Amino acid sequence: MDIWGHIQLGVQAVFFANPAFELFGLGVSIVLVMVAAGFVLGIVVGATPGLAGPIAMAISLPILISVFGYSVDALLPVLGFLIGIMKGATVGGAVPAILFNTPGTPDAYMTALDGFPMSRRGEAKRALKIAHLSSASGDTFSDVVLVLCAPFLAILVERYLDLPEKAALLLLSLAFIASVIGGSVGKGLISMGLGLLAAMIATGEDFYPRLTMGAPGLSGGIPLAAAILGVLIIGEVFKSLEELRSEGPQKVARDTQSRQKHRLWPELPRLWPHILRSSIVGTAIGALPGVGSTLAATLGYTMASRSHAKTGRTPAFGQGAPEGIAATEAANSSVSGANLIPVLSLGIPGNAAAVFLILAMESIGGFTPGPSVFALPASGTNPELVIAFGLFTAMFCANALNWTLGGLFMRQVGIMSRVPKAILLPVVLLLTLTAIYVQEGKMLAVWITLAFGLLGYLMRRTGISPLPFVIAFILAGKLEATARQAFAATGSDPWLLFSSPIAFTFTSLAIFVVFWNLRGRK
Amino acid sequence: MQKLSSDRWLGLLVFAFALVLLFVWIPLDTETGLLEKLRRRVLIGDALGPTVAGCVLLLGAVLTWLRPDPCAPRLRPENLRWIAALTLVFALSLALMRHLGPLVGSLTDTGYRPLRNTLPWKYIGYITGGTLMVAALSGMAQPAQKRRLWALLLTGFCAATLIALAYDLPFEDLLLPPNGDL
Repeated sequence: MDIWGHIQLGVQAVFFANPAFELFGLGVSIVLVMVAAGFVLGIVVGATPGLAGPIAMAISLPILISVFGYSVDALLPVLGFLIGIMKGATVGGAVPAILFNTPGTPDAYMTALDGFPMSRRGEAKRALKIAHLSSASGDTFSDVVLVLCAPFLAILVERYLDLPEKAALLLLSLAFIASVIGGSVGKGLISMGLGLLAAMIATGEDFYPRLTMGAPGLSGGIPLAAAILGVLIIGEVFKSLEELRSEGPQKVARDTQSRQKHRLWPELPRLWPHILRSSIVGTAIGALPGVGSTLAATLGYTMASRSHAKTGRTPAFGQGAPEGIAATEAANSSVSGANLIPVLSLGIPGNAAAVFLILAMESIGGFTPGPSVFALPASGTNPELVIAFGLFTAMFCANALNWTLGGLFMRQVGIMSRVPKAILLPVVLLLTLTAIYVQEGKMLAVWITLAFGLLGYLMRRTGISPLPFVIAFILAGKLEATARQAFAATGSDPWLLFSSPIAFTFTSLAIFVVFWNLRGRK
Repeated sequence: MQKLSSDRWLGLLVFAFALVLLFVWIPLDTETGLLEKLRRRVLIGDALGPTVAGCVLLLGAVLTWLRPDPCAPRLRPENLRWIAALTLVFALSLALMRHLGPLVGSLTDTGYRPLRNTLPWKYIGYITGGTLMVAALSGMAQPAQKRRLWALLLTGFCAATLIALAYDLPFEDLLLPPNGDL
């Protein structure tokens, strides 16, 4: 079957497979329902300070797997729901930033700089509309780039990279992530080393489960979900709860949203250049593994600020400039689609949201992200390619929802800023531990999750980013397996990472990227 | 003597851990070496992957030691007290969650196991442990607010009950803690 046949099957899988209910005589597929549900939940979560998209994705995943099971049919509904959360949370994060000066997500800090002053001037509705327009534009832009780039990148990888080159590419990705995330290359490497080590426990090829110290509880290895949820979610909850102790009760400002109507289209000519520039910046940054949306938002805002200063327009950035909101929201939203480029084409997660998408794919099975996804078979169909196109379709459905209903939902969820964190965070913690137990079925998994939560807390308290740990934990198995196969295939060549020009380039780049990032950084 | 910065301490600790890993843990706890010979073919052994992880840790430790950040966050005594408090809360609440149901069940003729999927037995441990966990953490997070104990317990009870129902009502085959272990 040719590429168009696969595209058609992917679109059909989203729109027509497994109708959940009928609307005006037409079946509404379960995938569409899940995308919409995830999107609404994402907006609510994004609008709640203390929660974020990855937390909702982490809690939802075991529940979704319980509902849909481990069959291939479960992939699109589950991934559609998670993608909906990812996109909704980006839009929702702007709401408390604009209305109450309490950003729902770290990406929205810059939004608050201009959004809140606009709210205080009685222009909250206008600010929310600008945030929505910019966010939806950035998101759509990056999704288009994803659809255009991911398959070609995957085809290039599959055509030109053999096993040694793939091992070198994984090494380069890990070196890049360890070097650029956080404030210190040394700490990035410590985080990555710990992730690699945790993934090595009980995962060797020998009958004896390595590094288990004879503990029977560890002989099955460390559960993927326990390690990831522990370090990313539980560690963050521990830290946030401790910070609440010193901060005292939250003080939420009064909603000053005006009731007058605003038309946005007269402002478009002055907003579009900022939206477009930030979309390009966010997409380029999002395509690099490990470089997150906060950096994209900061860069987009800074570039727009310089450009705005040259025009001499008022208000200035930081004093309620609509262009500041547009630049920030377009940049942070355009990261979400582009982040899936390394996920789908190389199997390398770039941020926390992508980690949970890969976790879902690995938990359910039937879809191994990487270059083989986009391989066109000589005859018959490639089910992974059908799912990939289904995924793209689900993303565009989420975009359509964002354009049509996103703004409406956004304006309704401001109340979430008033949920007290001191109650919300312990409930999230109990929910996460319950989700782990339900998935693993034993108390040991809960204790392992808490142990990794403690590790995540200690990492945050010593200035070590937990993201290289998680990404190394996910990629370690693939790196080791590829290296083993490459070693065997090259006749036990110890220089396999330098055996071809491409492998040599990747390995050299991995070394270079570490030492380059040492310049001027701690 | 000059006081070591937090990054230098971190570098030192990770360096020591990496040495123990490379020279004690890996050699004693893996069956095959860095390389192994199988039917006259040389293959990568189980020790190579962990050794690479150890070397990455060693490099990270050296770089952290050599280039310490004077403004790096430092682990303070209050952080250690917070960890101790968290440990106590989780030890108590998870012990309640794990053992209360079977303990009460042991007073019946059949014991807990046949009752573990029936009302109200299946919820006893989870809701009691969950209530304690949520109430204790909420109270610890905002001690200045001096919320009343009953209000905290009520919040914990409602949260634990709602979560239990959210998992239990729609999914017949899911087991709440600790029923999968029993």
